[in-house]
Order: sequence, then C-alpha cells, then structure tokens
Amino acid sequence: MKYREFTSSRLLVGLLMAVLFTKMSLAAELNESEFRSLQRQLQPPADAPWRTIPWKITLIEAQRTAIQEKKPIFIWAMDGHPLGCT
Amino acid sequence: MLDRASTFANPEIVKMLRTRFVPVAIDQAYQRRQKDAEGEFYRKIAGQGPRSNFQSTTQGFYIATAQGKLLLYNNNRDPAKVQRLMKEKLSIFQQNAAEHSRAVAIKPGKVDARYNVSLPTGGLVVRVRAKVLGGYEPTTDRWLAIFQNALSRDNLWISAAEHQALLRGEIPVSLQKRIARFHLVDNTRGEPPMWKENEIRNLKMTVTGNRIQGQVTLGTDRGDRGFEADLFGVLEVKAGKVVRLDLVARGDFWGEGTYTRHAPKGKFPLAIFFSLADGTDVADRVPPKGSRGWLPGYLR
Repeated sequence: MKYREFTSSRLLVGLLMAVLFTKMSLAAELNESEFRSLQRQLQPPADAPWRTIPWKITLIEAQRTAIQEKKPIFIWAMDGHPLGCT
Repeated sequence: MLDRASTFANPEIVKMLRTRFVPVAIDQAYQRRQKDAEGEFYRKIAGQGPRSNFQSTTQGFYIATAQGKLLLYNNNRDPAKVQRLMKEKLSIFQQNAAEHSRAVAIKPGKVDARYNVSLPTGGLVVRVRAKVLGGYEPTTDRWLAIFQNALSRDNLWISAAEHQALLRGEIPVSLQKRIARFHLVDNTRGEPPMWKENEIRNLKMTVTGNRIQGQVTLGTDRGDRGFEADLFGVLEVKAGKVVRLDLVARGDFWGEGTYTRHAPKGKFPLAIFFSLADGTDVADRVPPKGSRGWLPGYLR
C-alpha cells in the first residue's frame, strides 16, 4: 500500500514538473531559431488561388479597363479591405 | 478571410475572374462615404441593390457594367452559388454588348482626401501577418476551421522621419507605439479592436547591431483582452537604404472583439510577422486598417 502511495506521489511530481517545464518553454524568449521557424510559418502561400486574380483596388481604374476589355466589373466589397485587413 | 479560402479558392471562379471579368477589391467603408467620382460610381451601383442605406455596411459581391448598371448583388459565399450567378450575369451582359459599348470612362476629378490616403513620401510599407498557433477546440464547422487556420494580412506604414531613424539603427517611440496599438492585434477572425494608448502597459524595443529585441504587454482595464509578447527581429541597412526589416512578435493573447468572436478560451499563442514590402503585391498599396478615416491619428 505504502509503495503504491509512494509511486503515485512520484508520478504526480513528475507530471507537475513536465507541465511546468512545458510552460517555461512556451514562455522562453524568442531566439534566432524560433524566429526563423515563425517566419516560415507566417509566409502566405505564393500559389493561393485568390492571389492569382488580377485585382484592381479602385473602381475608376476597373471601369476604364471594363470599357477597354468589354467586360463586366466584379466588385468584392467588404468591411475592411479584402486584400489587406484581416 | 472566409472569401479568400472559399469563394476565391474555387478554380472555376478564379478562372472566370481572370478572363471574363474585371475584378476589383475595395473596403466599402471608404467608397460609400467618399465624396468624389470613385464614391459616386460605387453608390450608383450599390444603390440599386438591397444595401442602399450608405450609413451602414454595403458589403457583398456586386457585378456591374461600366455604365454603372447593377447586374448582381450577392452576400452569400457558397462557391457553387456564386459560380452559377456569375455565369448567369455574364450571359445577360453579353446579350446587351451593344449597349455596354457606349460606356464612357469616368474622369477621376478631384479626389476626397480623407478616403484617398497614401504612404507618406519617403516612408516605408511593411507587410504584417498574424496567426493563432494553437488553443482552439477541434471543430467540424467548415467556416470555423477556416478562421482557426487563417493567416491575416495588413500593412504597417512608416513615416519618412521614422525611416531616417531606422537608417541610424533606431526604432523611434512613435513607430513602437504604432506597431503595438495597431498591429499587435488578433485579426485572424475579422476586424479586430485596436489598442488605446493607455492600454500599452509595457513596451520596449531596442536595436543592437542589426538585432531587434523587445517585450510588450498590452491589456484593457477590465482585463478581458490582452497580449504579452516577446519581439525579435533583424534590421539591415545598406548604402543608405533599409534592405531588411523583419520582426516577429510571439506571446500569449487573450480575449476577442465584436468582430473577432470564437477565439480560443483563455490565453493562446499568437505570432505576428512583419517584413518589408517590395511593392510587387497589389495589396502593398492598401492603407493600414488602423489608418481608416484618420491617417494623422495613425501616423502621429
């Protein structure tokens, strides 16, 4: 019985230390290696389909092009700029 | 965000936009207010749709002719529906080709300065991307999953005077505060609340050699939203030019705003990456979200 309690206590201490260590690691200051890793993670994919669309950012420019190319205008109108807000 | 990962991820829609339409992306909060030819043309189109009250949002997808005739208003982002509607309206447009050929190009005239802001002469544009690195509950909801994996976009503008300071290896306080107030935000699920000046609890950024390091603590008085982060980056100057400005902020964020609901519970890891824009992306010309309606307040 006592052996079982001793083992449980050691397990609990071990678990607590593991949790603390993880927390400390997360809170560690940024370093060169993590900077590079985050830089990679936060790069938008160059081949994202929406980025291959030739968006214009003013209606006046779009209207002029629509006349020249004899096409209708497709307007993506959002709260916040769709290309650079959220 | 949702549109980029749904409607505009559909290959057929992308193909049609590339070849059959003139695609334009706008923040309608500008166009519905601005008193110039750009604003008038937008209100002419949007005013024919269901969102004709320009005191509130008019967001959605519109298809119109160069004469300003509205062919479609749609605020549903289901790709199959959008694709079908685009084909229908394209067909109607083609049936009236003769009429459309009489359209005349609008002269820009004098522009409304409040809604036509541009980067200050001698300034710099920095791309800003944010991502929540963890903490979300697993979801099977398609739209929530898009938010949970989102990489946000914004631009940081640097004034000419701040640019000069960077050339000397300094990050002026005005720039530090702008980064903190308007760019250390969680904008991965929508338009975020920005920080007030008195919500900057601690802010320190230093440059040693070409290495940038710092810490920041931001938080509301109520404690319902905050961000504690470390900063790490690189500033390189060559031949009198800033050739590299990369900065990462990484730390614990908590809370959400009216338009950024469904944040992870409690504190969650958020990273924000800044990198000098090279002008190759049309989005490099988009003003920072924090400057909307009041550029001097953003740049001060």
